[in-house]
Amino acid sequence: MTWAVIARKEFEDVVDPRFGKAGLAAVALVFVLGGYILPMNVPEPTSAQYASYMNGAVSLVVPLFGLLMGYKTIVADRAAGRLTLLFTLPYSRRDAVLGKYVARAGLLAAAVATGVLAGSWLVYYPFGSFDAVVVLGYLAVTCCYGLAFLGIGFAISTLTTSNRVASGATFGVFVLFVVLWGQLRGALALALEYLGLADGSLPDWALFLHGLEPSLLYSRVVTGFYADVTTGSYFGPDAAWYLGAWPALVALLAWTVAPLALGYARFEATDL
Amino acid sequence: MTAIRTSNLTKRFGTLTAVDRVDLEIETGEIFGFLGHNGAGKSTLINILLDFARPTSGSVEVFGVDCQERPVAARERMGVLPEGYDVYEDLTGREHVQFAMESRDVTGDPMDVLERVGIANDADRDATGYSKGMQQRLVLGMALVGDPDLLILDEPTSGLDPNGAKAMREIIKAENERGATVFFSSHILEQVEKVCDRVGIMHEGELAAVDTIENLKQTVGGGTKLLITTDGDADSWVETVEAVDGVDSAWWDAEFDGGDADATRLVVTCTNDAKMDILVALTEAGADVLDFTTEEPSLEDLFVQYTGGQA
Repeated sequence: MTWAVIARKEFEDVVDPRFGKAGLAAVALVFVLGGYILPMNVPEPTSAQYASYMNGAVSLVVPLFGLLMGYKTIVADRAAGRLTLLFTLPYSRRDAVLGKYVARAGLLAAAVATGVLAGSWLVYYPFGSFDAVVVLGYLAVTCCYGLAFLGIGFAISTLTTSNRVASGATFGVFVLFVVLWGQLRGALALALEYLGLADGSLPDWALFLHGLEPSLLYSRVVTGFYADVTTGSYFGPDAAWYLGAWPALVALLAWTVAPLALGYARFEATDL
Repeated sequence: MTAIRTSNLTKRFGTLTAVDRVDLEIETGEIFGFLGHNGAGKSTLINILLDFARPTSGSVEVFGVDCQERPVAARERMGVLPEGYDVYEDLTGREHVQFAMESRDVTGDPMDVLERVGIANDADRDATGYSKGMQQRLVLGMALVGDPDLLILDEPTSGLDPNGAKAMREIIKAENERGATVFFSSHILEQVEKVCDRVGIMHEGELAAVDTIENLKQTVGGGTKLLITTDGDADSWVETVEAVDGVDSAWWDAEFDGGDADATRLVVTCTNDAKMDILVALTEAGADVLDFTTEEPSLEDLFVQYTGGQA
């Protein structure tokens, strides 16, 4: 359990500086605000309505915060020489990665959990309803969504020894996934049509590939489980099974693991 | 038991060969000085030892443990003062030592360590505010936690004032007496000469020489050089001197100008033990010895010899 010593130190490191506490509070606050506003528009709100209502705000705030929590994990300590000091002690690189990741993931999950639970309570009280299974499921999926971007940020932090490069790459990923990705669907359809592979709309396989981006996956999981949608290219009666919510959930889980594993492998293989 | 063994160790960065087929053995209990210019490959070798860098080929073992295959087991036996580190933000000196103790599963009072390295008065200050010298002392303190069997010190005296350097040497000696093997790198010859049993000289990635300082001096300078000022001269004195055991060669110093018309100087290269015998032999031969000095080849001379005159 040597990594636990690192995790505790990392926990204090992340919470302490100006950014950490404010960021954690901001994430929680977004969920609370949603829980406060929803009952003003819907007379008898349910937990499931809350989940799908939050989708827009969450798909902006959670990726941003996940990336911000992750992208400095390794590179900042490496560039400054704090990793050199850390590894004079009998720690393996796995200890360092595990300790740092567990601390950051724990803080991210705590912020999301605080927000979701408080928001759900505001939805429930006084006129709404509360469904524990829905709330816990929604909480778990949203945490996975955050962890996916934390993992991407972490992977970026292992790829470079320059803080500036890491910041730039993080910004690039944010713009690509959160801002641009949705628009790419139209461009993709045009490109496929030009190649003669599609006719006006995207074929299922292209839709699936385009939909593998974590924000689209998350949105599909939440919509599929909590919004009762039975139309559209993903949930319509003719949609392929692999465009549904369950495969999306599996792919989202893969996003929480794959970048983390790649980043760890990269960190393990390179010189400090 | 061998404390450190490198076998054919090579590390390349692109086209640069930072460490070139180095075979080095350091015995348990010795203080080994690792000399070389900046960029000679000293830190790269140490970084491989710590598994901060992986060798291109060859291997390193510490007490028989492969440093790349089992880096944690290897580092459990080492206390390390690395180069190019930074201390943690928002952690005091005391907390740094505390962290090292927790990491090594050692109980004790961090203050004892801080006192030993001479920064007890600043124990509760944020360590990022320490001077470079104080940070060196702090990290040395962290390296001493848990009484490691092997101390690896990379340029330990950099940033230290003369008092600090002296304190560092005393700690090195004390740790060695406790039983620790000490491996430290430096480009400052004086530091190495004062404490080391043996030295290795790195030059452009290659291990140019490994020996005791005494032996290196013998090899390079032919031992001691004795300068004897006499009143007057006699050709036979050169023969007299050369007949003494341990004398390598003797000659009159043609450029000598003692300010006195009759004073001349005889130069003798010899072993250290032969000095008195030479003076006795000269006196017996009737020479009037006015003055004599000895010149030991300095480590600087060795260094120049082995590294091609760049010192």
